[in-house]
Amino acid sequence: MYRILDKAFSIIIKLLTLFSLLLLAFVIIFIFKESFVFFKEVSIFKFISGRIWNPLSSPDKLSILNIILGTLYVAFVAIVIALPIGVGSALLLSGYIKGRRRTIIRGIIDILGGIPSVVYGFIGLLVLVKFFEVKFDFPTGESVLAGGILLSLMVLPYIISTCDETMEKVYNSHLSSSQALGVSNNYFIRKLVLVESKKGIIAAVVLALGRAMGETMAVMMVIGNAPMAPKLLGKAQTIPSLIALEMGMAEVGSLHYHGLFAAGFVLMIMILIINIIIYYVKRSISL
Amino acid sequence: MKTRKSIIIVLSLLLVFALALTGCTQNNQAVDGEKNNNDSSFKAQITFNGSSTLAPVISAIATDFIEGNTTWNNVDASFPEENIAIYVSAGGSGAGVKAVLDNTSDFGMLAREIKDEELEKIGDAKVFMLGIDALTISVNPENPILQIKDDLTTEEVKKIFAGEYKYWDEVESSLPHKEIVVVIRDLSGGAHEVFQKSVMKEAQIREDAIQSPSMGALVTKIIENKDAIGYASFGMVNQNAGKLIPLKVDGVEATEENIVNGSYKISRPLIAVKRGELTPEQKAFMDLVTSEKGADTIEKMGFVPVR
Repeated sequence: MYRILDKAFSIIIKLLTLFSLLLLAFVIIFIFKESFVFFKEVSIFKFISGRIWNPLSSPDKLSILNIILGTLYVAFVAIVIALPIGVGSALLLSGYIKGRRRTIIRGIIDILGGIPSVVYGFIGLLVLVKFFEVKFDFPTGESVLAGGILLSLMVLPYIISTCDETMEKVYNSHLSSSQALGVSNNYFIRKLVLVESKKGIIAAVVLALGRAMGETMAVMMVIGNAPMAPKLLGKAQTIPSLIALEMGMAEVGSLHYHGLFAAGFVLMIMILIINIIIYYVKRSISL
Repeated sequence: MKTRKSIIIVLSLLLVFALALTGCTQNNQAVDGEKNNNDSSFKAQITFNGSSTLAPVISAIATDFIEGNTTWNNVDASFPEENIAIYVSAGGSGAGVKAVLDNTSDFGMLAREIKDEELEKIGDAKVFMLGIDALTISVNPENPILQIKDDLTTEEVKKIFAGEYKYWDEVESSLPHKEIVVVIRDLSGGAHEVFQKSVMKEAQIREDAIQSPSMGALVTKIIENKDAIGYASFGMVNQNAGKLIPLKVDGVEATEENIVNGSYKISRPLIAVKRGELTPEQKAFMDLVTSEKGADTIEKMGFVPVR
């Protein structure tokens, strides 16, 4: 009897896993199918190496190098800002604060991750962008930097919770040995916990990078959406904001419509490539 | 052992797919059954999809219609007693046409001319001209240009939006040397298409213009930024009177009169489009939209109704 139940359970689990795999496959196939129409007209190489995006003129003017660079740049700025803060907070949470206070702080940080992105976008538009305009006398506050700062807030909870999980494990497993050796807590955390959590930190970066590159609403509201070569203090456009901005208006079945799918396809491939690279980097780091 | 395992997996997979598929057909049958029960083709709900400019207008009229009647038999005694449901969703003019083509919505809403090829694709299309929206060239009330003049020529507007004038002092030498912040809607959208056709013609818009995700965001940008200029819709300007100032173009002010008689040229029609004949209940609603009361609502929302 129990053997049958066991068997049934394992089959159900396998089916559910298969289902999620199929789901991913269907998404990829669908997007590829829609963008294939576009790639028949414009070569992939031309699409990702050209710098002009102008949906109103000929198909040759649909290319997204600037937009790819913008996507990477914003995500990169976000990680650069969020990583030190996130790793620091995780170290503090796992090493120095214990008990109730820790639970409360973790809870607050998790709430930060649950705020809808349009709310972040609104704050970004009315506070951050305005701040740049008034305090620094920019002609416009919409910039890669504004997007990066906003995104760094949004990815912070992901970095903190992923790092914290690893660091807590490392901390607990080595605590008694380090206390037996009489090493000070600060030294222990700096030299052992931080170094041993490399994998966790890298995993956190991947997670955050994926989210930062795919984030749409908040970024769209503060980045200016100008498809030009991105500069830190200048406007830029990201692939998700491009798709969100133009999908509603694109005529169905037109080259522009399929071009947007093609942009989505490129974004997906980019995130896949990053994940694969990080997988190998992670494997090569011995823990 | 191994073969048995794989057989089990294959069989269970088949089972899952079979279940999934039967699920679908059953659903469809249920929906069809519901339709058949209700007096051949009566549909208690009407759906609209399309332009984000027109959506709030239709929503407002629909709210009045629903609150005034509640059930269909109050609209017309020959209709069954069912609750009225009118769903309006905004996704852009292109999405409106797509919804009609895919039959996902009864009506499509457009804030631009409907293209001939779109009409051709829809086939038996019914087009309702509801009103006109104009694009005003608006600036922030604190912009010093307002103290010098309240008028720009088409040529000047074109040069500003094309990036030939980068600073305000290039437009008029007494203005401060500050960068002009150009705000536009997305390049492929209905509003921009109208602007491109009536002002820019062949000229390209400057590359670093800010593309706003909605007309609301565009207006907010002008309200927030002293150096900004953009094409705010006439309706939006009326809703935010005093917070942004529309400039005359070639000496013509964007007033209702000038928009209707065509002397203010940066304007676009507001259209509802439907495939095929209207059902009696759809006709009942569209009669209200095109009535004097509907025109009042359109006017109240800041647009110019077609009377």
